[in-house]
Amino acid sequence: MEPIRKATVIGAGVMGAGIAAQFANAGVPVLLLDVVPSGAANRNALAEGAIAKMLKTDPAPFMSARAAKLVTAGNIEDDLAKVADSDWIVEAVIERLDIKQALYRKLDSVRKPGTAVSSNTSTIPLAQLTDGQSAAFKRDFLITHFFNPPRYMRLLEIVTGPETDAPLAARVAKCADFMLGKSIVRCKDSPGFIANRLGIYWLQVGVVEAIDAGLTVEEADAVIGKPVGVPKTGVFGLIDLVGLDLMPHINGSLAKALPASDAFHGANRDLPLIKKMIAEGYTGRKGKGGFYRLNRSGGGKIKEAIDLASGAYRPEQKPELPELAGAAKNLRALFSSTSKIGRYAWRVLAQTLSYAATLVPEAADDIDAIDEAMRLGYNWQWGPFELVDKLGAEWFADKLAEDGLPVPTLLEAAKGKTFYRIADGRRQYLGADGAYHALTRPDGVLMLEDVKRVGKPVLKNASGAVWDIGDGVLCFEFTSKSNSLDDQIMALLGKTIALVQQKYKALVIYNEGQNFSVGANLGLAIFAANIAAWSEIEKLIAGGQQVYKAMKYAPFPVVSAPAGMALGGGCEILLHSDAVQAHAESYIGLVECGVGLLPGWGGCKEMLSRWSGSGLLPRGPMPAPSKVFETVSTATVSKSAAEAKELLFLRASDGITMNRYRLLADAKACALRLAVNYAPPKPVELKLPGAAGKVAFQVAAEGFHRRGIATNHDLVVSGELAGVLSGGPADLVDVVSEDQVLDLERAAFMRLMKTPGTLARIEHMLVTGKPLRN
Amino acid sequence: MKNVVIAGYVRSPFTPAGKGALARVRPDDIAAQVVAALVARSGVDPNDIEDLIVGCAFPEGEQGLNVGRLIAMLAGLPQSVAGMTVNRFCGSSMQAVHIAAGAIQLGAGELFIAAGIESMSRVPMLGFNPLLNPALQAKLPAAYIGMGDTAENVAAKWQISRTEQEAFAVRSQQRAALAIQAGRLAAELVSITTKSGSVDADGCPRPDTTAAGLAQLKPAFSESGTVTAGTSSPLTDGGSAVLVCSEDYASKHGIKPLARIVSVAVAGCAPEIMGIGPVAATRKALQRANLEIAAIDVVELNEAFSSQSLACARDLGIRDATLNIDGGAIALGHPLGATGARIVGKAASLLQREGGRYALATQCIGGGQGIATILERI
Repeated sequence: MEPIRKATVIGAGVMGAGIAAQFANAGVPVLLLDVVPSGAANRNALAEGAIAKMLKTDPAPFMSARAAKLVTAGNIEDDLAKVADSDWIVEAVIERLDIKQALYRKLDSVRKPGTAVSSNTSTIPLAQLTDGQSAAFKRDFLITHFFNPPRYMRLLEIVTGPETDAPLAARVAKCADFMLGKSIVRCKDSPGFIANRLGIYWLQVGVVEAIDAGLTVEEADAVIGKPVGVPKTGVFGLIDLVGLDLMPHINGSLAKALPASDAFHGANRDLPLIKKMIAEGYTGRKGKGGFYRLNRSGGGKIKEAIDLASGAYRPEQKPELPELAGAAKNLRALFSSTSKIGRYAWRVLAQTLSYAATLVPEAADDIDAIDEAMRLGYNWQWGPFELVDKLGAEWFADKLAEDGLPVPTLLEAAKGKTFYRIADGRRQYLGADGAYHALTRPDGVLMLEDVKRVGKPVLKNASGAVWDIGDGVLCFEFTSKSNSLDDQIMALLGKTIALVQQKYKALVIYNEGQNFSVGANLGLAIFAANIAAWSEIEKLIAGGQQVYKAMKYAPFPVVSAPAGMALGGGCEILLHSDAVQAHAESYIGLVECGVGLLPGWGGCKEMLSRWSGSGLLPRGPMPAPSKVFETVSTATVSKSAAEAKELLFLRASDGITMNRYRLLADAKACALRLAVNYAPPKPVELKLPGAAGKVAFQVAAEGFHRRGIATNHDLVVSGELAGVLSGGPADLVDVVSEDQVLDLERAAFMRLMKTPGTLARIEHMLVTGKPLRN
Repeated sequence: MKNVVIAGYVRSPFTPAGKGALARVRPDDIAAQVVAALVARSGVDPNDIEDLIVGCAFPEGEQGLNVGRLIAMLAGLPQSVAGMTVNRFCGSSMQAVHIAAGAIQLGAGELFIAAGIESMSRVPMLGFNPLLNPALQAKLPAAYIGMGDTAENVAAKWQISRTEQEAFAVRSQQRAALAIQAGRLAAELVSITTKSGSVDADGCPRPDTTAAGLAQLKPAFSESGTVTAGTSSPLTDGGSAVLVCSEDYASKHGIKPLARIVSVAVAGCAPEIMGIGPVAATRKALQRANLEIAAIDVVELNEAFSSQSLACARDLGIRDATLNIDGGAIALGHPLGATGARIVGKAASLLQREGGRYALATQCIGGGQGIATILERI
């Protein structure tokens, strides 16, 4: 792949700036241009303002402070010629054809021929955008439609025209895939492409049907949420997030572009309530609020929702909907229910899923493109055709007919079949031609999901499984709830280490859950504590220490590949691995202090050895323990893999994979590289400050306590942490071994486990999911 | 005994630690430029200098390794000039003046440079390896008490309200702003050459400070406390230097001295109220000079915090008109090791500028001490 060395983004709005940030996150220097505001003293004010704003935005568009420095601000009048250095120019200016076309003409005169130019338009067809442009421009032009926020949304819709140079488009797609981490869905040049075409229709139907049925917004969002695999924002919450004011624009442009026969027109009703809300500034979360708002009048913060009939706000209600119990497992029952809620769920999904079935081949070549677009563009757990399969295509088609709704041809053809099936060990989809076709992954992608479909685990127990991923590499998968760690995982990991040693070359620790691991199973710990089974707890800690240590010093390489959260014990696995191949969106931290504990599976030991050997700190016994104390006592979690490197949860040499789909393949390749002439690491010997350091940490903690930053129990916890990190009874002339630190960790962990403050923290976390500040 | 005089005073701009213009400059490089400028401006023959005595509160890292000697080398002083580093925390460079004065009176030299340096950007407070004695911590926890906590203790014990502290901070900011505006600080400043250009101006003052603005700040050291970032001196980078010589040397070489040292003192106090240290030290110095506080026309009292400044001023009976005429550390900044030489040099120059006969320079010191110097205009 010929990488993109430099990029330009024109248009410093939320999307343009966010796309520029993602280039920077990928390590690509990027020029961000916008117009010169009239009468502005600073001609780069818009782009500079956008960068400054992004530095304050949460969730952050930038993965690291270093990335932010890769974005250079400029303006179209003075800096357009600089695009000649760029390999890819992304246009993300206002959705006006005349403005875009005029910009393209200017760009065409300054860009290097063969440079890709792509538009982030969400509504204007490619044919119109390139109309009247030079042949060379048409050859180099395509649409790359990012989703908001560009760092976090994995979908990229790509539209090419008949004249687009295929190798150039392939290069853009590849760079978007490998460097920007996007999953590419190829779309036809049709209005709204795929995700928004279906998504906007779904939202519109969701609103109209709720109003017609007299539902509250809370009821609507509860049912069009978790039960159907949609994020909990549902319909109204999502519109609040996107911005109510965008709805009329997008709806208007879709209405203008779609033929009169399109079902969208039936749903696209004028909604006086939304008009009124926008006029009054209720544009959603970015404005005063939307369908939901926080009422701060009267000094407090009251969550309110709008009454769809009267347009008045009232306190939010938690709907009690018996229909939803078990609905996710039995969607047919939900959709067959004659209750108001059941009818609403059915009406919204019936129309949305049938609309999806009309989009092949008009908007997409196949159903998988539509499912992928909705999974990654709208975070649906299941794409529309996967949902139909859950219901049964025949059942769904019959029920549509029963209700007098049209049954699309594609659905008719699927009767008696499923949209997806497993055959010959491959997942196949039903094509528009009525035949099944194998689903292919992009080149080089390896998914555990695919391995699992065709194979049997090499080892397995209640909390984990081990898979052969080829070339002598085993993959250890957590299968417990939230991938939490327990004695079963430790036992299986121990067995796996023995097995790899006998028959394999390397081990990869990886899974395809939402999070790599949220840490130890606290429920088990509290259960054991409640029956005073202290020796059991200590056994679990000691067992984990031994297994992690065995993993570190095993005669084969271990590569961990986290994505999402890797917390507590999950982080400690990474710390004991020979290498980590992390997804860029990895949130890593030792958070034990938050629940009144401290890292007991070697986390203190590994962090001490990392900072001591880092060469980043002044000499002497204190700087390394101080750094670890600061990070661990505050339960700091990195907000990206890049930031995890700054915190030394990852080593500088650890790899970062931008595309989630490529993580396992990259981790496996890394493991195989390390397997050549592999030698296990040498044990580290530490020099620690002893009691003098402990006192220094305690004095610092007491200062935080006086300032109201540290709580009473924080002092207890940080006191124990200080004892471990300073080396316990060690004198600063002593050499402290890894095992000695492990012993200190275990003893301190057990003392904390027996304190009421810690037990209260754990219980609170288990019940509320939030830390207790006692 | 020989008379000892202050015959010159310069300092670098003081800039905020971490984000100021000197944050990326090595402290020894700052100090060397300050010392070289003092020698050049005073016109003394550098071969006559006996010793360069440099005060520093955390003499390690880039300000370690007997930085006094290294600064002499960096400043291009002849190798015959000796160099030492002295540490009395915030009193370090005032102590450097006292050492020079003592040496002169002992007949151990005629011409000295007493300087001070601190980069609070590059060497953190407490240093890189704070290793506290557990036995002392158990016996006397206040031995290691944080400075902010002592400011709270003084505020409570002397009943200095938050409002009073804030009014004092505003006063400091306003006086500094007026002095800067009128160019009254220009003569003492040495422009520092850095990799990214020269640094010519103080970076700490916040001339827009208002009492209403300060009232919005959260307490900085204690949840229920009264001391805020606005009523504390900021963490600062900077260096300072004064020329100390015998009165005979000055007259022999045609140097116009600023002031004569009349008396000096140090004194200890309880560490948890270290901010009151100037009271005992000043009383000793006054007694040694056979003077009453009423005789003092110019006072430079280091503003570590509003609370301790007010408590000291009250206990000593310092007249407001005499106190920190060009503002103090709350506005200008407090690079620990450099402050002592600054306020001695400042007090001496103010005597020249404002008239009057006697001046007092005094400051509090972490660990529970005070240090004081009384000067007389020549």
